[in-house]
Amino acid sequence: MDKTETLKQKVVNHQLEFKKKIDSIELDVHWFRRVFHTFAASFLIYYILPDEQWINALKIGISIFIVLFVTVLEYRRIKGKIGGEHFFGLRTYEEKRPAGYLYFGVALLILLLFFPQQIAIPCILCACFADPIIGETRYRLGRKGAYLIGFLVCMFFFIITWYPSELWVILLISILGAITAIIGEAVNFKILDDDFMIQMLPAVFILIIWQGLIVFGINILPREIILPM
Amino acid sequence: MMNKKLDYLKRKKNANVIKIELYFTPLLVIFPIIVSILLIQDWFYRGYMLGVSTYNGELFLGLIIMSGNIIFDIPFLKSLKSIVRK
Repeated sequence: MDKTETLKQKVVNHQLEFKKKIDSIELDVHWFRRVFHTFAASFLIYYILPDEQWINALKIGISIFIVLFVTVLEYRRIKGKIGGEHFFGLRTYEEKRPAGYLYFGVALLILLLFFPQQIAIPCILCACFADPIIGETRYRLGRKGAYLIGFLVCMFFFIITWYPSELWVILLISILGAITAIIGEAVNFKILDDDFMIQMLPAVFILIIWQGLIVFGINILPREIILPM
Repeated sequence: MMNKKLDYLKRKKNANVIKIELYFTPLLVIFPIIVSILLIQDWFYRGYMLGVSTYNGELFLGLIIMSGNIIFDIPFLKSLKSIVRK
């Protein structure tokens, strides 16, 4: 009887120890993912670099190269040619599909290359900061509270970028931009990751509004807020 | 399913993985700070010094990038420090 009890106790202790280790790794991975998000805001350097032909070509080339490199890396990982252990911060469901950072990179590239900075900047900031803030506050405030905080943060980013506009434009764009960003984050799209949708959904939506109003002779796009050095 | 998850996480816990994270750390922490300083510096010299308000947006963005990164860098570095000790 005593032997069985001791064995049980040993197994429980072993499990607790193992759980502790797993928790510590998860905690670390969790902060790594958060910092990877906030780090991406530094890609806004794209807009501040001098507006010269060779620099423009270089920055476009480097952006495309980074995304292509990551795509090849992900392809090889999924095919099993590169071991998953070399990729830090992967989620379990990302084992057999492209990881979130690839979606993030593709959306970032599309925004930098094809959207005006007035639309791209707040959408990038939403993915960089609102996404991790929602993730953090979700533990403390629950889903609804986290999305409310996320909505306010996204709204703030749109207000900051569109502040040179008229008040009705700032209100319209910040509210619609924040709503679509939160939809992009909250709704589970089957093929596309939330890191992609939180950027692209508000960007496409605002692009449609902007172009739609141009048809009626109203241009709501404010001046650029980052000027090349 | 749970076992699969544990196995996957267990696989990750090796020295190589920690090394990858360590290699990335300077880039992840320093680069955003450099970009935010660039934005704030640009606002200071071309905006504030010459009295041009067009550059105020760069100040706001610089402050957002700097504060946002610092807020998340601190717990990240703490967690990294503790895992390196282990």
